[in-house]
Amino acid sequence: MDEAPGLSDQYRTASPWPVFIALGIPISELGLLFGLFPLAVGGLLLFGGSVVGILKESGYVASTIRAVTALAVIFFAFGAGLAFTDIALVTRGYAVIAAAILLVVGGVVFELFVREQRQTF
Amino acid sequence: MEVNGQLALTVLMGVFLIAVAAWLARVEDWRSYTPLAGGGTVGGTAEQYVSEEKPSGVIRWLTTVDHKDIGMLYGAYALVAFAVGGLMVVLMRIELADPSMTLISNTFYNSLLTSHGITMLFLFGTPIIAAFSNYFIPLLIGADDMAFPRINAIAFWLLPPAALLIWAGFFPIPDVIPAQTAWTMYTPLSAGVGSGNQMNAGVDLMLLGLHLSGVSATMGAINFIATIFTERNEKVSWANLDIFSWTILTQSGLILFAFPLLGSAIVMLLLDRNFGTMFFSVDGGAILWQHLFWFFGHPEVYILVLPPMGIVSLVLPRFAGRRLFGFKFVVYSTLAIGVLSFGVWAHHMFATGIDPRLRASFMAVSLAIAIPSAVKTFNWITTMWNGKIRLTTPMLFCIGFVSNFIIGGVTGVFLASIPVDLVLHDTYYVVGHFHYIVMGAIAFAGFAGLYYWFPIYTGRMYQVTLGKWHFWLSMVGTNLTFFAMILLGYGGMPRRYATYLPQFATLHQVATVGALILLVGQIIFVWNFVQSWLEGREVQDGDPWDLADDDLVTAEWTWFERKLETAVTDGGEDETELATDGGQTVDDTDADAESADDA
Repeated sequence: MDEAPGLSDQYRTASPWPVFIALGIPISELGLLFGLFPLAVGGLLLFGGSVVGILKESGYVASTIRAVTALAVIFFAFGAGLAFTDIALVTRGYAVIAAAILLVVGGVVFELFVREQRQTF
Repeated sequence: MEVNGQLALTVLMGVFLIAVAAWLARVEDWRSYTPLAGGGTVGGTAEQYVSEEKPSGVIRWLTTVDHKDIGMLYGAYALVAFAVGGLMVVLMRIELADPSMTLISNTFYNSLLTSHGITMLFLFGTPIIAAFSNYFIPLLIGADDMAFPRINAIAFWLLPPAALLIWAGFFPIPDVIPAQTAWTMYTPLSAGVGSGNQMNAGVDLMLLGLHLSGVSATMGAINFIATIFTERNEKVSWANLDIFSWTILTQSGLILFAFPLLGSAIVMLLLDRNFGTMFFSVDGGAILWQHLFWFFGHPEVYILVLPPMGIVSLVLPRFAGRRLFGFKFVVYSTLAIGVLSFGVWAHHMFATGIDPRLRASFMAVSLAIAIPSAVKTFNWITTMWNGKIRLTTPMLFCIGFVSNFIIGGVTGVFLASIPVDLVLHDTYYVVGHFHYIVMGAIAFAGFAGLYYWFPIYTGRMYQVTLGKWHFWLSMVGTNLTFFAMILLGYGGMPRRYATYLPQFATLHQVATVGALILLVGQIIFVWNFVQSWLEGREVQDGDPWDLADDDLVTAEWTWFERKLETAVTDGGEDETELATDGGQTVDDTDADAESADDA
């Protein structure tokens, strides 16, 4: 019998991350456009965390903490660009920087306290 | 914003993120339990077992990366958007039944006008095509799934937030009003300049939503290009790639070049509105917007029409009992349209006073694009010529497509001519012309696909008589509404107005009656679709359209047959299904007989 005709043997058919990537983008956009600090930070955290999650799940990155750091560096550069250059969108810049820092903190917490409890992450 | 507001927002956001993290932890746990139950080996890796089992209930739909599930999500989403956009225009048409302001205010009319256009093009048109392509392209080309299944899911899930943002102005949010810029968002109106109310945050939200839908379309396009190039079964070569895949490939190429430009233009507009840049407020800014917008906007027309043409090219021959006439030339004309579509954008701007030499060259290319379009039309007609025509509901919609496409296309040829355009520009003629294409052709092909593949995605058959009612009401309604608009345009009725001079009353009333006929047809469609899905006759045969008789079976039906044959048995009892045909037991003989009735 063909258990699941047309389905792949290689791909998972479920992943929890896409929904949250898709939610993170508009939330952070709204926060940044209207200068709503909490929305900007929260949206970027959701987006960044989910991107790292999906990369790890699909095997594109080996280490969670390194992926989180790389993403945080990109966020930090973008935030610094907004806050400290002639663009001078200071609040928004700090929001992105805050998201970058929280992302690294989250990554470290996950690495130290959560990851070892899970074998199949 | 006040400190209290910020605090509340922070708490809300924090709670939301914690909820997300908690939910993710649960889902991850759930996944770690599945291995043995799914039949995987003890030593297997995570990928091996999860692939064989999907979560149940709502979680399945929230987490799926299976192309067929995502296709279904796109379809459901598109049909909801079609209903929303349709009801919006019903309100507008009822308002236009008489010249005075009776039902809705003029500003609300403008808001509906804007949202109807954006909803139908971006939230119905593009997603309904993605529904078919997600479900069927991997099956047609013999792929396991899309090249990037997770990207596929992200692309879909960007759409619900996009819709909420685009419709945000209609929600009871304090100080936010709907955008009234029309779907073309011409500056300076859309830049919020002047004493109007378009500086409102509702316009920003709509722009963000539109931007998001563009990101979604681009992600989908990249995925389809990668899939069709790299995931084809070894038996599927470029020479025998099916026509629907060709049109999706071309469409994806167009999306790849057009949508990022729209995205950039929208970002520029948002910067102008919120951060004091002056892209569109300096001299020539208004024309700059029109160039940028239409460089996206005209390929968008072909982004929307090529895949429906592919559906018609695929479905129409099945019920004509013949292979598609001139297959190669249909493919060539698809590619030709794809290339030429980037050279016609300024025909939307003939009346803006651009250089006459530029106008002439755009007129030439616009007229030239009629040639590949006509090649397709003649090929469809020739396919039917002397064929063994079976007037099933999908076939009726295909023939309706060809008929409406001819009217919509020929009226377009006239508009491509500068002197004619200068007379008809900004009149109802233009509205009638493009509605013949978007409703009469694109939506009709969508219905053809929905009916044709109904047995595959529901496992059941729709109700034939209701399907025919749906077609005829749609056909009559479309032609009544939009032909009246063409005549209104000849009379000089300008578009986009909530009112009109008394001499236009009769034709406007005809158009309103047509729109109401369309509404009745679509209500019948919804009833048929939902009831048949829940209670329709179950399809027992992998070839419900008897395509094998003419040797016209395509890969997705072979897949369906295999699925039926290999379906897990539920205990081997005879099913006593609730049958809609009077309670008789349905078997293959009945199925054949009903298919014959359908012919």
